Amino acid sequence: MAGVAGGGGGGGGNDFQWCFSQVKGAIDEDVAEADIISTVEFNYSGDLLATGDKGGRVVIFQREQENKSRPHSRGEYNVYSTFQSHEPEFDYLKSLEIEEKINKIRWLPQQNAAHFLLSTNDKTIKLWKISERDKRAEGYNLKDEDGRLRDPFRITALRVPILKPMDLMVEASPRRIFANAHTYHINSISVNSDHETYLSADDLRINLWHLEITDRSFNIVDIKPANMEELTEVITASEFHPHHCNVFVYSSSKGTIRLCDMRSSALCDRHSKFFEEPEDPSSRSFFSEIISSISDVKFSHSGRYMMTRDYLSVKVWDLNMENRPVETYQVHEYLRSKLCSLYENDCIFDKFECCWNGSDSAIMTGSYNNFFRMFDRNTRRDITLEASRESSKPRAILKPRKVCTGGKRKKDEISVDSLDFNKKILHTAWHPTENIIAVAATNNLYIFQDKIN
Amino acid sequence: MEVQKEAQRIMTLSVWKMYNSRLQRGGLRLHRSLQLSLVMRSAREVYLSAKLEEDEEGRLGPQPCLGEEGAGQPPLQPAAAASPGPPAPEERAAPADRGNAPGAVDPEPMETQDSSGDAPPAAPAPGAGRRPARGVSLPPPAKASRKRRSSSLDKPGAAEAGLVPTKKARLEAEEEEGERQPQGQDGPFPSLAKVLQTRFSGMLRGGPPKGPEPTPGCRPGDGVLSILVRAVVAF
Repeated sequence: MAGVAGGGGGGGGNDFQWCFSQVKGAIDEDVAEADIISTVEFNYSGDLLATGDKGGRVVIFQREQENKSRPHSRGEYNVYSTFQSHEPEFDYLKSLEIEEKINKIRWLPQQNAAHFLLSTNDKTIKLWKISERDKRAEGYNLKDEDGRLRDPFRITALRVPILKPMDLMVEASPRRIFANAHTYHINSISVNSDHETYLSADDLRINLWHLEITDRSFNIVDIKPANMEELTEVITASEFHPHHCNVFVYSSSKGTIRLCDMRSSALCDRHSKFFEEPEDPSSRSFFSEIISSISDVKFSHSGRYMMTRDYLSVKVWDLNMENRPVETYQVHEYLRSKLCSLYENDCIFDKFECCWNGSDSAIMTGSYNNFFRMFDRNTRRDITLEASRESSKPRAILKPRKVCTGGKRKKDEISVDSLDFNKKILHTAWHPTENIIAVAATNNLYIFQDKIN
Repeated sequence: MEVQKEAQRIMTLSVWKMYNSRLQRGGLRLHRSLQLSLVMRSAREVYLSAKLEEDEEGRLGPQPCLGEEGAGQPPLQPAAAASPGPPAPEERAAPADRGNAPGAVDPEPMETQDSSGDAPPAAPAPGAGRRPARGVSLPPPAKASRKRRSSSLDKPGAAEAGLVPTKKARLEAEEEEGERQPQGQDGPFPSLAKVLQTRFSGMLRGGPPKGPEPTPGCRPGDGVLSILVRAVVAF
């Protein structure tokens, strides 16, 4: 099951196809800003799917057990827990509002019946415990069932409280709050493979935390220049290696990635490896520098590769080769000639994420017009699909989409100028073992799965 | 001329965006500000090189029209059915300058005159910004602006090349007023805020420039340029 490649072509034969499964969220045309999804993440087993939004809320969906009477449809994801993770705050010293928008959610590996996740806004990271309660104690001696204290003179006998079943209640409680460690805006968090530490990265610094300790953290990367006028690049994303607890990477706004080894020194300002692709002079343009900024970096599950996303492309790097990526996939090259307009409408600053499938054979990332793209690394085929209400019938097969870049527009193609740049897919997630994907389209969460023949 | 206009429009747009970014929730975003300043710097270089070529042409007489100075790329609105424009010629004009300075630090410390006192007193000018604007006949700006401060100042031709600042008293006085604001008050970039507020208030009230024509409230290019140099340096 895990060996199935993602994103086969739309034809028949052995290619598999993606089908609509579910969509979550309101259908209103007027989307409240607070409802815009800002992060999506499956947990390690794939049974839980967490989303964070601009209003600071976290919604967790749980996959239902597979229904034997409907073997063709896998378990659906239904709301499991909803809670307010972050509230808007105000920094009185700087007279700045701190947004409650959830920038990232990362699950911790499950160690007991409860689930733990880290959620972060621009300044504060919180560790949440999500636990189930399906029993409650009844028959207390000192208080009534409704909680009122009983008159002690009326107690004539003692009884042992008994546990009785109750309706399932899912509680989310903040167990740790990691605050006041970042001057700039947090863009990434990453749980270490040791399951004890995690890193948080802002524009200029990366801090290492212990999950149990909230009043201090270690600064492991600091690229702030002594003179801020000499600032030329910022940190844009960071992640721990999936297996080596001493290794992490961080990407920059200049399109470079640095791999650091925490064993070499306490402050990892000097990288162990430096990944950069020489710029192609023929494609140099007015906006070259800003479109080369990396918006996301993700290690493959194997730990041998990493993937980076810049504005127009996705690149796969072999950790053993620093001078160029081993694979480059163009996401929407037709936008290269439109960069000036995209600068005007601010779209050029959009930060797209990317993700691997469970077997690292396919990668996925988002684009505009609610399109998202998948690339099969083995067959080198790619596919463009759309997350739309129109193709949201149960188990409807998604039709591949195509953007017409010039010349005569064929039927079913869409021209570049007709793309809706307000409909952007920035956040996607792939189930860790199965071909189930979650795609966030503004305030809606689409879940697609492969068709089982 | 079109290239110049387009570059100027982009510079003005960038400043407007920078100002607006301070007003959004969450405050100034460092990454966004850096990107805006990079675009501004690119636009400035394109503008200056185009202006320099124009000045030289005006001096030397008509020259054969170069491909790089073709019409600017017409801006496209999102989801509009506008016809796709030709590939941006300013993108072709730019490589001559930009190819020389990919990501090079352009050390233009405007705030060297502030009370911190840890910067050399003879602050080198934003050379590229100064020279052509003063109408002095000089070598192309891109090469000089690429050089590090220490090496360029030591070179014999530094003064003529305009790498040593030729200060303009009016501008300096206003700049220093802005620089003396306490650092922590406005966030990481207090001077920029002051510069933008004092110099661009008219333009900012008018909103972002739209279309290829600059708005009537825009200052002439030279004035914008020197301010933008300050604004870029602030980052």
